[in-house]
Amino acid sequence: MTFEIEVNGRMRAVTIERAGSMPARFRVTVDGASRLVDAQRVGDFGVSMLFPESGDASGAVQIAPLSGGGELLGHIGGRTARVVVNGQRTRRAGADTVAAHGEQAIAAPMPGRVVRVLVGAGDAVQARQPLVVVEAMKMENELRSPKAGRVKNVAVSAGTSVEAGRVLVVVE
Amino acid sequence: MKVLIANRGEIAVRIIRACRELGLPTVAVYSDCDRGARHVRDADQAVHVGPSPAVESYLRIDRLIDAARRTGADAVHPGYGFLAENAAFASACRDAGLTFIGPSPDAIALMGSKPAARAVAMRAGVPVVPGTDAPLASDTSDDEIARAAARIGYPVIVKAVAGGGGKGMRDVEYPADLRDAVRTARSEAGSAFGDTSVYLERRLARPRHVEVQLLGDHHGTVIPFVERECSIQRRHQKVVEESPSLAVDARLRERITRAAAAVAASAGYTNAGTIEFLLDEDGSFYFLEMNARLQVEHPVTEMVTSIDLVHWQIRIARGERLAIDPARAVTPQGHAIECRIYAEDPDEGFLPSPGLIRGVRAASGPGIRNDGGVVSGYTVPVFYDSMIAKLIAWAENRREAVARLSRALAEYEVLGIRTTIPFFLWLVRQQEFLDGRFDTTYLDRLLASRKGESFSELTDGDEERLAIAAALDAWFRATAGPSASAPRAGGWKSVAREEALR
Repeated sequence: MTFEIEVNGRMRAVTIERAGSMPARFRVTVDGASRLVDAQRVGDFGVSMLFPESGDASGAVQIAPLSGGGELLGHIGGRTARVVVNGQRTRRAGADTVAAHGEQAIAAPMPGRVVRVLVGAGDAVQARQPLVVVEAMKMENELRSPKAGRVKNVAVSAGTSVEAGRVLVVVE
Repeated sequence: MKVLIANRGEIAVRIIRACRELGLPTVAVYSDCDRGARHVRDADQAVHVGPSPAVESYLRIDRLIDAARRTGADAVHPGYGFLAENAAFASACRDAGLTFIGPSPDAIALMGSKPAARAVAMRAGVPVVPGTDAPLASDTSDDEIARAAARIGYPVIVKAVAGGGGKGMRDVEYPADLRDAVRTARSEAGSAFGDTSVYLERRLARPRHVEVQLLGDHHGTVIPFVERECSIQRRHQKVVEESPSLAVDARLRERITRAAAAVAASAGYTNAGTIEFLLDEDGSFYFLEMNARLQVEHPVTEMVTSIDLVHWQIRIARGERLAIDPARAVTPQGHAIECRIYAEDPDEGFLPSPGLIRGVRAASGPGIRNDGGVVSGYTVPVFYDSMIAKLIAWAENRREAVARLSRALAEYEVLGIRTTIPFFLWLVRQQEFLDGRFDTTYLDRLLASRKGESFSELTDGDEERLAIAAALDAWFRATAGPSASAPRAGGWKSVAREEALR
């Protein structure tokens, strides 16, 4: 069985085959290079691996879905990396990194409550000008305009509770 | 004594543990979203006090007092945050015949108001940072505020009178930014503490934040403890604390602890409190403020003195005399260091990362203490502070304590949400951090110098192992039988469904 695995944006083709009759032994081929792996499922998300051809090196990893988006996060020694299996990914909430041209929707990057709306429909705005203040987890976060332009519409008012990804303001 | 804990999260769990150890029954309180929280499970009884927003639950004095009445609790521990430094709450407890495990309402009012606390420090002969002598009420005009700032001299810091934990606090470099900063600070302070008044203070160039823990009993004894170093801060929020401070030698310790005790004594302070100082490069120190409560970082003091501060809070509230050797309290045994683990994504500018925790493996082993507030299956809510645990490492010296902390961080697993663990693993490898060469501006400067690299530094080998594990994980799911064969990338809901079918 072959999987296309993307880790931190780099794609690898990983083929898994059973190796002989030993139950936990697999022949794993990564981009053409093959190795033996002794693999065991640990808990709901853990994979314990031993590499018999590399001095029985041990590697333990957790592959767990992130709450909400369905994105997978790999955990190794306290550090993490985004993992995509067979191209199945969900778009991340938050529009802060999109190219700043054309019509821009400013969405809530996290669930929270709108504390203040600083602009109204029709207002001219500068790039990086604060548009809406969203409070999440007791900190106020200013959401800024990705571009200079005009506010096309404001979809929320102060006091509104918003989910991650909810469009707050559109700037054109 | 039966203790109602008017708080949530890790500190509620910490206090329940202390009560258990002293043989005292406990009552937890919870809001709608905290029904499944750990403190609710750990307490002997738990009372619902309202909807999720704190102003409708954890900040509702009437409901908390009522919860105590209904359960027969005769004492209240406020924890930190929420109503911990609210004199009206302490008074309401007293009026309802409840023992408030903390300072008197008068001491809270005095030391909880930062301008008043500054006056107390000055009277005790302790120097203070230049700032406004009185709070700026919500109707203070912009002009008046601007004049006050000009008098103090820029850069200034706007601080909530009732503040703490970096909330309701804004740096102002230039006069033009003052108005917005005051507005934001007021708004944050209003929602976090229910009080919008703020004051101004001069910002020192490169100070360290050093603080002194105190205990005071009802018989006139005040005991100061060895200092804590809390200079590692992100936007005024402490993220790493340790004891002792590398910048404090025995002579400075003697001076600063004596100054702290003098301030507390002149305020008639009882129970646990902390006096915060800014320590300048030349060794002079200034009173910053007093926290009239137990602090988040109290465990590092407990680790180097082997004295349980929460036990003593309760014993003091019961009228006991402090039976602690003062010399022991100021003599650190080894070194302790704590990091605050937040539900935040460090790689996205520390954006809050609330949500369902799908698994937790807390670090443990020699010299490690984990003060956690969450369990697997709990959903970290959006309504409160995002700290989910404190990890504390102790060892014979700082170098070994940092190595132990690093080891423990690599063991710590929290699945389902992002946390600041990768950030701490990165921080404990920075040279200035290892050398102890830092001040309160260090971390913000260090973070500003980064160019968007992930805090999770992975080798090619690490990434390949992750890829192999992800493929094996997918293979196990695909071959585990019909109930587990649903595509998982559809989200955690499908996983929850798979698990429900098992």
